[in-house]
Amino acid sequence: MNFDLSEEQKLLAEAVGELFEAHATGTRDPAVEWRDYRDLGLLDLPFTAELGGPETLMLVMEAYGRTLARAPYLQSMLLAGRVLALSGAGEALAAVRAGDRQAALCLYEPGLRYRWDAPATVAVRGDAGWVLSGRKVAVLDAPGADLFLVPAATPDGLGLFLAAADTPGLARHPRPTPDGRHAADLSFDAVVLSPERRLQGAAGTRTVLAEAIDGAIAASCSEMVGAMERLLALTTEYLGVRTQFGVAIGSFQALQHRAADMLVAIEQARSMTIYAVSMLGARAEERSVAVAAAKALVNRAARFVGSEAIQLHGGMGLASEYPAGRYFQRLTVLETLLGDTDFLLDQVDQAGGVPA
Amino acid sequence: MDLQFTGDETRFRADVRAYLLAEMPERIREAVYAEKPLPRAWMVEAQQILNRAGYAVPHWPIAHGGRDWSAVKRAILAEEIDRNACPKPLAFNVALVGPVIAAFGSEEQKQRFLDPIANLDMWFCQGFSEPGAGSDLAALKTSAVRDGDAYRVNGQKIWTTYAHEADWIFCLVRTDTSGRKQQGISFLLIDLATPGIEIRPIRTIDGYHHVNEVFFDDVLVPAGNLVGEEGRGWDYAKYLLGQERTSMGNVGFSRRRLDRVRARAGETGQIMDPAFRRRLTLAEIELKALELTQMRVVAGAPERGVDPKTSILKIKGGELLQTAAGLLLETLGPVALTAGFPVTARDAEFHGLDDHSAILSAYFSSRKYSIFGGSNEIQRNILAKAVLGLGSAK
Repeated sequence: MNFDLSEEQKLLAEAVGELFEAHATGTRDPAVEWRDYRDLGLLDLPFTAELGGPETLMLVMEAYGRTLARAPYLQSMLLAGRVLALSGAGEALAAVRAGDRQAALCLYEPGLRYRWDAPATVAVRGDAGWVLSGRKVAVLDAPGADLFLVPAATPDGLGLFLAAADTPGLARHPRPTPDGRHAADLSFDAVVLSPERRLQGAAGTRTVLAEAIDGAIAASCSEMVGAMERLLALTTEYLGVRTQFGVAIGSFQALQHRAADMLVAIEQARSMTIYAVSMLGARAEERSVAVAAAKALVNRAARFVGSEAIQLHGGMGLASEYPAGRYFQRLTVLETLLGDTDFLLDQVDQAGGVPA
Repeated sequence: MDLQFTGDETRFRADVRAYLLAEMPERIREAVYAEKPLPRAWMVEAQQILNRAGYAVPHWPIAHGGRDWSAVKRAILAEEIDRNACPKPLAFNVALVGPVIAAFGSEEQKQRFLDPIANLDMWFCQGFSEPGAGSDLAALKTSAVRDGDAYRVNGQKIWTTYAHEADWIFCLVRTDTSGRKQQGISFLLIDLATPGIEIRPIRTIDGYHHVNEVFFDDVLVPAGNLVGEEGRGWDYAKYLLGQERTSMGNVGFSRRRLDRVRARAGETGQIMDPAFRRRLTLAEIELKALELTQMRVVAGAPERGVDPKTSILKIKGGELLQTAAGLLLETLGPVALTAGFPVTARDAEFHGLDDHSAILSAYFSSRKYSIFGGSNEIQRNILAKAVLGLGSAK
């Protein structure tokens, strides 16, 4: 066991950190940012074994979280891109890796909470192939996506369909997210798809989706850890400069202990994220329990660290132009993404607990 | 970065486990599993079994029985000892006084003390806390005044674990009152058979007698029992606190407790209660995280001094042991009410505690984890100052 970064990982983490910091203070042109991701090799990273691998993605996502990045990396590359790769959708994947197309996986439906594997959206056979009907909600980065991956119930079980954004009958209803990104609800009104638009991975749809989602959960944990780390740094900095009663408020033990508890929560969250990443190559059942357990703990840490940070900032924590609040907003979005705490704990419970 | 244990580490774990299961007598492991206090002789027997395999003092210098094992391996060893319900080597001997003698003691002291300390042929207790010196340890007053070839020691220590079982006590004593309170402290080894020492038991809320008051009334201690230089005791104490941290989080112990909770709750059907199960699951997740935190602190430990993040292990490890003790108590249900123990039992009776009483006793005892060895509040002070850089008011 060894937690040191390799030379290559160090260099990459440094370059990624610099790029994301520059984006955070730059003009925020999504097209320019995405080209930068491509030029740095980040669009290939999830699909190449040499430099990639889950440990490297962990570093990228931490930097992403630290800088409150906005590019659709988790959605288009780690979630949808991974599904395309596992489903053998080579052509679409190539376009996504080249940066020419962005893809989004539509997991959730009204009233079904996080249960993506029992969709009410249906696909029936029609004259020209498949006819898709239903609604999906809360698809992050959907407004900028060109391709949608849509799980739907078919006569022979769970199916997965690839629909271009401009397919007739597909409508997007954009909604801003509280962390400065964009999502959309989607409706499919008898959308006609040709037969090859149904993706059939060798492993089966449920298996493919579960694997991609688990990888994305681990990545979202890394993002939260990065965001929490920066938020704690902002908080301790504030405690050092804000004076009341003639002294820096960071000299008060009551506040010091709250900051120390934030640190403890973050270190535990980081450990659990490392655990999740180390389990991504395990058997499917073990992998899913591990990532669910990890995100449950990281979610709890995010809620705790986020709200404590606001409290320690006092009124400034509530001002939207001050960064602390923005980190809290991002953490809240991530907490609800890909499974909230109770849902994940339930999954761990049903599996009989975390394996020792 | 390699987040998996190496083949070598995995083999090491298997070897340790095989040795422990083969060599540690079943009666000892059963008593530890049931959380019953062990008779002194059993603790000595257990440590000698560990010492034979190099498991008692692997972190010591090789010349004195240490092994050239990585910190990760030593953490694995500590975890396996706990997890397989074997008694840990006596911390006062192997983790505290031994390393100080090895680092600062005279050649004569090393020859005289180190082997018996490792083998628990000589049992040390720790004389640090005093009635007026707890978290503010440097306020200690027990005095040692040079008197010819000896020190004349007067004062009182408190919360001295196993003083009634021990042969020797290592003490912080005040040899000079003129400077800052951290100066003028010396590190003295005192034979408990010396005239003028009185040991009085303190009964604790777990019904048991582990801690004591130790009184020194004109106790004459040979000057040759001073470790290192006079007046540098505070430095040695800081060094001592920075020693073996590989089991600081007590992850093996918590694992054993939580596994026992799951097993007991499974037998009684309590595991079907979703609220109970949820709390158990959360504790297991925190423990999994702590295992990794422990490994990260261990693998990244600085060559010298203490990684302040060790305080995270102390805080979280203690909280988890307390949570696990609470869950274990709850597995008794209403029987907990009648699982009392005779509060004035003699030790011999206490060793015969029934399983339920031992669980209740362990529950009360577990409050100590957030108090001893630097309370969790002191640990938070350390994190705030040393890691987060938050200062005191000017």
